[in-house]
Amino acid sequence: MLDRFRFVPARLLQSVPVVFGVTLLVFFMVHLLPGNPALTILGQSATPERVAALNTQLGLDEPLWDQYFLFLERLLSGDLGTSLTYQAPVSGLVLDAIPITLSLLAFALVLSLVISVPLAALAASAPGRLPDMVVRVFTLLGQGMPQFWVGIMLILLLGVKARAFPVGGYGMTAAEHPYYLFLPALTMAIAMCPTTIRSLRASTINVLGSDYVGTARSKGAAGISLFRGHVLRNAAIPTVSIIGVNLGYLVGGSLVIEKVFAIPGLGSLMINAIFTRDFPTIQAVALFVALFVIVVGILTDVVYTAIDPRVDLSSKERA
Amino acid sequence: MTRATRLRSAGIAVAAAVALTACGGGSTSTSGGAAAGSGPVEGGDLTIARAADILAMDKTTTFDNNSIYVMQQIMEPLFTVSADGSEVTPLLATDYTVSDDKLTYTIKLRQGVTFSTGAPMTAADVKFSIDENTKTGADGWGFVNAAIDTVEATDDSTVTITLKYAWAPLLADLALFSNGVIPADYGGKTVEEFYEAPVGTGPFLWNEWKKGQYLKLTKNPDYWGEDGPYLDSVTWTVVPDANTRKLQVQGGQVDVDEFPDWSSFESLKTAPGVTATAFPSTRIDYIAFNQQKTPFEDVHVRRAISYAIDRESMVKTVLYGNGQAADSLLSPGTPFYAANPDAPQLDLEKAKAELAESSQPNGFATSILINAGDPNQASVSQIMQAQLKEIGIDLEIKTLDPTAVKQARNAGDFDMIISGWTMDIPDPDQWTSFAVDPEGGSHSAYTYYDNPDVVALNKQAQAETDDAKRADLYEQLQAQVAEDSFAAYLYYSPYAYAMSTKVQGFAVTPLGNYPLAGVYKTS
Repeated sequence: MLDRFRFVPARLLQSVPVVFGVTLLVFFMVHLLPGNPALTILGQSATPERVAALNTQLGLDEPLWDQYFLFLERLLSGDLGTSLTYQAPVSGLVLDAIPITLSLLAFALVLSLVISVPLAALAASAPGRLPDMVVRVFTLLGQGMPQFWVGIMLILLLGVKARAFPVGGYGMTAAEHPYYLFLPALTMAIAMCPTTIRSLRASTINVLGSDYVGTARSKGAAGISLFRGHVLRNAAIPTVSIIGVNLGYLVGGSLVIEKVFAIPGLGSLMINAIFTRDFPTIQAVALFVALFVIVVGILTDVVYTAIDPRVDLSSKERA
Repeated sequence: MTRATRLRSAGIAVAAAVALTACGGGSTSTSGGAAAGSGPVEGGDLTIARAADILAMDKTTTFDNNSIYVMQQIMEPLFTVSADGSEVTPLLATDYTVSDDKLTYTIKLRQGVTFSTGAPMTAADVKFSIDENTKTGADGWGFVNAAIDTVEATDDSTVTITLKYAWAPLLADLALFSNGVIPADYGGKTVEEFYEAPVGTGPFLWNEWKKGQYLKLTKNPDYWGEDGPYLDSVTWTVVPDANTRKLQVQGGQVDVDEFPDWSSFESLKTAPGVTATAFPSTRIDYIAFNQQKTPFEDVHVRRAISYAIDRESMVKTVLYGNGQAADSLLSPGTPFYAANPDAPQLDLEKAKAELAESSQPNGFATSILINAGDPNQASVSQIMQAQLKEIGIDLEIKTLDPTAVKQARNAGDFDMIISGWTMDIPDPDQWTSFAVDPEGGSHSAYTYYDNPDVVALNKQAQAETDDAKRADLYEQLQAQVAEDSFAAYLYYSPYAYAMSTKVQGFAVTPLGNYPLAGVYKTS
């Protein structure tokens, strides 16, 4: 059984050049942008003389390659550098933001499953009938509405009008965080649902028509027990890959959502760092997002392998 | 400052705000603090939502306003600005005398003031704090102390400042936050340690900073002032999106929305439970002409463009009427501002006449560089484009990311640029030296303007300590730079704030800072 997971170490090894490539790409892309952090730090008093002095102080007048190697050298010893705007270690800023963005993503994922699974089952149980139609309209709407607009509408309805949820922010205590994260997570879940529902619906209809479900039915299984025992696991296989890919996109989507909801996660950190040309912070966030996407990719395959015994990503023919 | 003077000054500020916003339907503010008859309420937290986080608390090297407005609640200077911005008033000082040669200032310190550590504030602390700032020179705010030769602690409660040359803006410079008083030798800490949790004599104490999330200050129960602090704490939260901030103040989640954009400001004026107030500022927005580039070395070209600018339309579209067309280099909130009834206003005939006299009688093509994502600059440049077309000038609007615009500006790589300025001290010198003296470090606010007569006037005004004579010098200076059209002044805009009607006593000085000691919340 464990043999089938032998692909994991190889995958991890493959990700090393990918991460290296990301650092190279991000480093040179941000340095190619016109503009300079010293200009932002000094504000209206940014005279050319002072900008030059601050650039020297920040080490930004060194040749680019030297700066890049210094960055790599520090990275290998676990040092992400110092934020140019905050003059504080980047690792602290990123470590503060990571749990916030991760809990937002996890919350969104859970919400999307809570919404998708019953709706897909409902739609698949009677294809072409009224419940199916309603679900299909919902997925169309969900796909058609831009995320930031959904977010603003939820804020207006549930935050300002009903006053049931806070209008953005993250709260200050651990007990407040889930309450503050609910609306943004719901916004992201609404964006994720349509593809999940469609894929789950299609594969459920497929599975429902298969011989083994017919056998299960003849043995007396029906309703929710049939769905849980025989249908869901088989129908979920294609959906797992889709969720994996979606999660990668969602990290990007969280940039917008975090701004609309004023959540101090990686997205807010990144946007702010780009505007102020805080190079070390941009690099650190990009690095982390790359790692996240790679890990999610591997996890997707692990889950995929675990729920479907026929999958063997380690065998020579597949690799 | 006594409570009576604070209230009176706040009243002036509000009256001025009303005057400024008159054509926009007027300010509905009652936030002078005098409105609530029952007197101040103790307790509560004031939450202020703002677009960006603070960056650092080191008062000598921090340049962003978000940080500056916060550090002023913790560390106090010897002098401060009156609520209407017109004069310097004592804060940690009580009195001062000036020698006949204007080179020696003897300053008496307020007695009974302690730092939040419990240690008394003495002349040694004041000397240390001013010297600390001076030392940073051009790397920080030290340049404002350039005229200071020595600072001596004559006795525990007296400080003597000796100048290198007569320097009229001294008291205004001492009122700058960077000259705020902190314990000598950082109370035994290193600089870095000290500014991670700064200590001063102010009404609020450093509490907690979650970078990118919020910053919290708590009440200083031993504050020396008689009026406040009333609030238990003040929290600044980071909410980058203007729309979210607006909804938060409407939903009652935050008490103050710092700088709503002008369209939000308009809708917040009519929102229930919310007061939208425009506080007069020292801000001036202007077009800088790059005189290194042809044809901007020609005064007639500059005047022609200045006459072709529809300032009233800009005030209407950009500021939603919350402001006024600019007529001088100095803003009305700056001391020694002189109104100029002859300032260029939209007059296409005059614009054409000036152009006919210029090196480009048949018009020319040029460009303006604006910040990407800045709707105000986009509107201004589009309004200009339409009018300039009428007089034969073909204007191309170039858009770059804000830091990239600053880089192009510093490199002199532009034709025209939209720029803004706000004062940090209640004295015009900071701005005039930056804007019209090439030695100010910015090539005359990046225009490369150089008129020896104006430079001489500016230098004379720096040394002149008689207010009436100084006013006369600055009036001449303002008239001359207007004549030279070294820049085209656009408009004066106030500071926009929206706050819950529960908030009382919140007032912003023209320098942008807002003392929070006297602020309280009704239930």
